[in-house]
Amino acid sequence: MRISQRTVAPGNVLLCVLCTILVVSLIGGNVLLNCMTRYNVVSSQVRSWKESLDAAETGGDIAYAELRKTISNPTNAFSPSNGWTYSGGAYANSPVTYGQDNLRTSSRVDPFYYDGNGNAWYRIRTKGTAPVLGLKRVGMDDRMGPNTRGDSLLRKIDFNYDHFVATYGPNGDGVGQTLVPVVDANGNPQPQISRRVELIAAPMTPFEAAIKAGGTFYGLGSAAYIDSYRSTTGSYDASVKTNPSDPRYPDSRSGTVEINSSVATIQGSIYGNLYTNGGTITKKTTSISGIIDNNVPFSLSPFAMPSTAGWNYVSSPTMITPNTTINPPVVNGVPRTGSPESPNYYLVTSFANNGNLTVNPAVIGGVAQETYLAIHVTGDIGQNTSSQPTITVPPHVHLEVYFDGNFQTKAENIINTSGYAGNLQFYAISPTLPNGAPDPSVQQTVDLNSGGGSTSGFSAVFYTPSANFTINGAPDITGAIVCKNFYGNGNVHWHYDRALDSAGDAVDYRILSYVEDIR
Amino acid sequence: MKLKTSQSIAGFTLSEMLVSLSLSFIVLAAAITCGVSLQKSFTAVDNYFSTQMQQIRIIDYLNRDVKRGLVVTTSVDLQSVTMSVPKYIIQAGDPEAIADPETIGMPRTPTVAYTTSGWQVNYSPSMATVVYSISGNSILRTENGVVTTIASSTDQLVPKSTDVELANTEYAKTSVTFRPIFTNTDQSAGTSLYATAYLRNKRRG
Repeated sequence: MRISQRTVAPGNVLLCVLCTILVVSLIGGNVLLNCMTRYNVVSSQVRSWKESLDAAETGGDIAYAELRKTISNPTNAFSPSNGWTYSGGAYANSPVTYGQDNLRTSSRVDPFYYDGNGNAWYRIRTKGTAPVLGLKRVGMDDRMGPNTRGDSLLRKIDFNYDHFVATYGPNGDGVGQTLVPVVDANGNPQPQISRRVELIAAPMTPFEAAIKAGGTFYGLGSAAYIDSYRSTTGSYDASVKTNPSDPRYPDSRSGTVEINSSVATIQGSIYGNLYTNGGTITKKTTSISGIIDNNVPFSLSPFAMPSTAGWNYVSSPTMITPNTTINPPVVNGVPRTGSPESPNYYLVTSFANNGNLTVNPAVIGGVAQETYLAIHVTGDIGQNTSSQPTITVPPHVHLEVYFDGNFQTKAENIINTSGYAGNLQFYAISPTLPNGAPDPSVQQTVDLNSGGGSTSGFSAVFYTPSANFTINGAPDITGAIVCKNFYGNGNVHWHYDRALDSAGDAVDYRILSYVEDIR
Repeated sequence: MKLKTSQSIAGFTLSEMLVSLSLSFIVLAAAITCGVSLQKSFTAVDNYFSTQMQQIRIIDYLNRDVKRGLVVTTSVDLQSVTMSVPKYIIQAGDPEAIADPETIGMPRTPTVAYTTSGWQVNYSPSMATVVYSISGNSILRTENGVVTTIASSTDQLVPKSTDVELANTEYAKTSVTFRPIFTNTDQSAGTSLYATAYLRNKRRG
């Protein structure tokens, strides 16, 4: 037999192929690794970072909505039934989980400041947390240089522990630092990103214009005018508004009228702006010095009695008779002055048609003190057009009158001798049904029908969003009015005090400041 | 039995050698070219992704500061963006930190003041100034003199494309564009990222 010997060796080719495959695989693997890392950063970490801010701002919205209830629905504000608790002077809610990615948010709300009107300013601190899915690793972009900081300085990911609590404590004030593992809702380890924002909610006061009508407007007389001044820079001077060289001239033309309706009959002169909601007012037919804008809608919310929990209740008097004088209560031998956030509070069930109320300031050592009072009248103040109830407020007295019913008197019967309208404030509590909803069947009225002559008048402000306001005659008025429908046909001289734009009870809240805690 | 041994083993002829060598060189050259191309592609893709990540980071940085800013201004040549932000955190050298070093890193409690332009919330008497600027292929963020390079591109960042527009100082529109270095034929090719961020604060200045 003959055996053939093959001497050809094909292994070299196979080796070359394998090496080529290896090189290509290494390159491809590197590409895939980089792609995966980038994808991980973009799809998981960047997304979580953005979502955590969304969660934090959602927490701010939740807290803000609750805060607004302190105005519109005080009894249900920060209710435990909605998960809110009160401790250490702050309201806090349990974490709320929402969304497809199980975002979590929690809020802490505390009043940190009370302004001169006794309105609380709130600080809202919220935390939003988003889980970080995908690979549990950092990005690759801190490698760019010795002074370069990439993702880790911007997006702080908690892979194992909450770095914020460990470094600054749960409230960020350096108290209670501890290691807190990051876990999901089931207690399993889960990397996460948390972002925190701090919002400042400021009270909105109601008297930002001379007249603000939520419904129709008619007025004033053909010789009437509305102008303005600023009481903090001097007393009212009628000549300023026509004297551009006067340094107070800029404050003299802010007698603005705002009407949330197209039904507006404008007479007289307005030294300020005019806003309507769909009206057809033009400068050709009116005497208006400022801007006319016929596309400015707004809404007036019903007004509810504020919480009196922190006020100093005084049991007497409960009725206003033809001769009622209120002197501050004496506590430990000292007349109690009250304060803007905690005034002396009187609950009055009857205000006689010919009632005559005088409120005196506290006097200590022979010196009159700034004295703060609030009176809640559960019925009408004056019951017909012949009513002449009188309210007298001397200097140093700051009186807020809340009434559930109607208000009728003469303009000259509202006596505020300080001259500052902010010292005498009237609030009409909107009628409600037993369930707390607004009652449209009841129409409140404020009727200053016998307006008096040009030498009469008053200094006061009215916030009556559900009441029709009527004023006749030709009184001289310093103040501001917010009402439903407005009617006036006298030659009123109306002076809006620009200092009133920061006076009065809060009627809503707005977010004034936004800061992110980037620690 | 007699074994028959094959005597037909022979070398390549010269022509065969030339042909095989030529083919080998061609194959080797192709392999090297492929390898180099793959490496170039890898580098380009890596740079592309890296720069895109930095685009996202620039936008995120800017938006974060714009949202908490009080005033945002852009230079005429669109090369820098300057903004004022509240000093929320106490830092070394601040009066509070000098009085009590343990307050460093802690947040401030805001104060409220009434001004001619209305109510104002203050965290400190002065504001922090944050400046974003372009330096070569890098984007710098300077906060009160402290410089941080937040992006340093291996690709070419197109400087003029860092464009922040402000309308009534209410929001900032930003776009960041880079041109990949492997694009030789079309100089306009690139990737742009756009963003709009609204200033959250009511206060201006």
